[in-house]
Amino acid sequence: MSVTSSPEPGTAADRATRRPRAWPAGLDSRRRREAALGYLFIAPLVLWLVATILWPLAASVHLSLLDVRLIGTQGSFIGLDNYIRVLTDDRFWAAIGRSGIWILGNAVLQTVLAFSAALVLAQLFPGVRVARTLVILSWIVPTVVAVIFWRFLLNASGGGLINPLLIELGLTDDPVGFFSSGGSAMTSLIVINSWRWFPFITVILLAALLRVPSDLYEAAAIDGATAVQRFRYITVPMLQPTLFVVGLIGTLLSFNVFDIIWLITAGGPSSDTTTAPVMIYETAFKRFRLSIAAAMSVVTALILVAFALVFIRFAQPKEMG
Amino acid sequence: MTMTRTSVLAGAATALALTALSAPALAQTELLIWHMEQPPHRVERIQSLLDAFNAANPDITVRQEPQNWGEIYAKAPAAVAAGNAPDLLFAIPDFTPLLKQLGAVQPVDAIVAMLDEAHGFYPAALEPYAYDGHVWAVPLYNMAVSLWYHRPMLEAAGIAPPTTWDALRAAAEALTGDGVYGIGLPANKHLYTDQTTYALMVNNGASALYDADGSIRFDTPETQGALAFYDELAAFSPPDIASWTWGEAEACFASRACAMILQFTVITTFETQTDGTPDQLGVAAIPAAEGVADPGTIAYANGVMLLTDDPAKHDAAAEFLSFLMTPENYGRFLNMEPGLFLPVTETGAEAESFWSDPVAVAYRSQIETMLENSRNGRLFGFTDGNIFPSIAAISAQNLISQATQRVVLGDEDPADAAAEVQEMMEDAIE
Repeated sequence: MSVTSSPEPGTAADRATRRPRAWPAGLDSRRRREAALGYLFIAPLVLWLVATILWPLAASVHLSLLDVRLIGTQGSFIGLDNYIRVLTDDRFWAAIGRSGIWILGNAVLQTVLAFSAALVLAQLFPGVRVARTLVILSWIVPTVVAVIFWRFLLNASGGGLINPLLIELGLTDDPVGFFSSGGSAMTSLIVINSWRWFPFITVILLAALLRVPSDLYEAAAIDGATAVQRFRYITVPMLQPTLFVVGLIGTLLSFNVFDIIWLITAGGPSSDTTTAPVMIYETAFKRFRLSIAAAMSVVTALILVAFALVFIRFAQPKEMG
Repeated sequence: MTMTRTSVLAGAATALALTALSAPALAQTELLIWHMEQPPHRVERIQSLLDAFNAANPDITVRQEPQNWGEIYAKAPAAVAAGNAPDLLFAIPDFTPLLKQLGAVQPVDAIVAMLDEAHGFYPAALEPYAYDGHVWAVPLYNMAVSLWYHRPMLEAAGIAPPTTWDALRAAAEALTGDGVYGIGLPANKHLYTDQTTYALMVNNGASALYDADGSIRFDTPETQGALAFYDELAAFSPPDIASWTWGEAEACFASRACAMILQFTVITTFETQTDGTPDQLGVAAIPAAEGVADPGTIAYANGVMLLTDDPAKHDAAAEFLSFLMTPENYGRFLNMEPGLFLPVTETGAEAESFWSDPVAVAYRSQIETMLENSRNGRLFGFTDGNIFPSIAAISAQNLISQATQRVVLGDEDPADAAAEVQEMMEDAIE
């Protein structure tokens, strides 16, 4: 009986044994057909991605190098002038700063609301199924309906609900104008947007919570862990991968919110709620500076990509790395 | 009997010849209209007029495609670039220069001259479309801002309808209290605030936004005075005016939480949402500052542009517009929204078809006042013949309202706000 030994890893002999074998002729042709079929299946998706993402992206970059003002007009090549203009424009950086405040405010409020709702809905109580369905209502309502609803709630000149309540509770003597100053307008918008979006995060967190093995909690309880300790040492670590994904996607989605801001304040008072998306829209379709808006879009996209990379680098849980 | 190939061919040829002979002798001309009168009842009224025209003119077919104002500023230039623009496109004055600079708008001098001779256009309606040696749109209907008030509320307070700024301020102050605001003025970054602010600017001698050389003249003592007065009046307005559009103002007025508002019309809202009678609804010209020689208001003369250079379509458009402006049709056209759209011609203002609408019958005196006000209408960027395409960027950004917001909400000094917004306007037209 002869004993054969494997070659040392990394040696020429090892590489030789790893070389692909020549398949029998019939099998080779079958694999090629399968590969071709595979390419055929993914071709529509690839074409779709090229048409809907790559092409518009390339078109935006191209547009940002021209001096087009109005849709339908021709522009000439001006190199990086638009980028220099955008990067040295204080108003653009102020809008980016307001987007930062917007993201932070939404992240904090939505996380608190969503976590609280998910923890409650993870319990078993009569009507929990109905409650789990109802919680997504504010998310599925069309934005324009949500805006009308909130404008009605916050109305101060007859018909509103919040102001009479505040006056009834003695918290104020006169009706409050919730959009009358920059600070209160931004705060009100963050509350409205968080109200609209927290169910989305709630549903994701709830799904993750329900996957945490109950025996972990039981074991911890037997060991004498308090509710806070169970939350701190079981729930949070087990939800970390979900929180990471929600943090990344939620931030990008929040950044791009335009409709609620535009429909309620249009970026005002003055420019106090003009976030980056609002400013880009205004620049393109109100100031009629299409190429400058394209340059703003490209710079903003790069900022978001940089954020995503940093977030992934530092916030990604080890088990996902 | 069997048919030979020859007999079949002969039969077919005969049928073809008969078909050709029975076809209309005139070639068909098709006209496509884009308008922004989207509410279904307006679309329906326009369609009934188109049906009547098409039936009376078998050689012309006019079709409508409703659009909306929110998209048309981007959609129309794109359609022009793609070569599928409509033949006729409704416009407001600051929309026309935008398409004119694309070379898409055709002069309509001949059509306007013909209609003017037959019906007599009000000069204020023509002025915003007449520049660069031509007329660029045919005025169709007017909308002018007036001062609306609850007559019983003023009478109870012993106040006469104000005609001066001092009287308006005093009335607003006297009417404020017990959950009622003397006057509802918007302070939103919105076209409505542009309009109400400009209405006060006009009445303080600040109607011109451009000098003859195209430079901006916003930062003037007259504008600053108008902003300061706006701030004074806003103190008697509800606290949520920072998010007001036309609807909120009308709602405030209808609920009697606002005693007075500046608005194009409130007739429909008053009629349908209050228990008031027509005699309780007051309307007046916008009060003017002391000593202003040429008071007036803001008015939008809506028109229609011709975007085709096809002579046959040009003739068809002239035919259609003649039909539309004929008194018996024009009143029906205006009353697609009774009590809002005002005639821009003398014959239209006397048309039985206009005044016979039930709303016009009930609110005749109010509509007559609105009509009178519209004759003194002006629009920012379209005065004194100093008209420049860059006005589109100024109005689209609601820069006038941003000056108002700075003063009313930001407590800025009117001089600082006017100077700041002057810079923003200069940047916009750069």
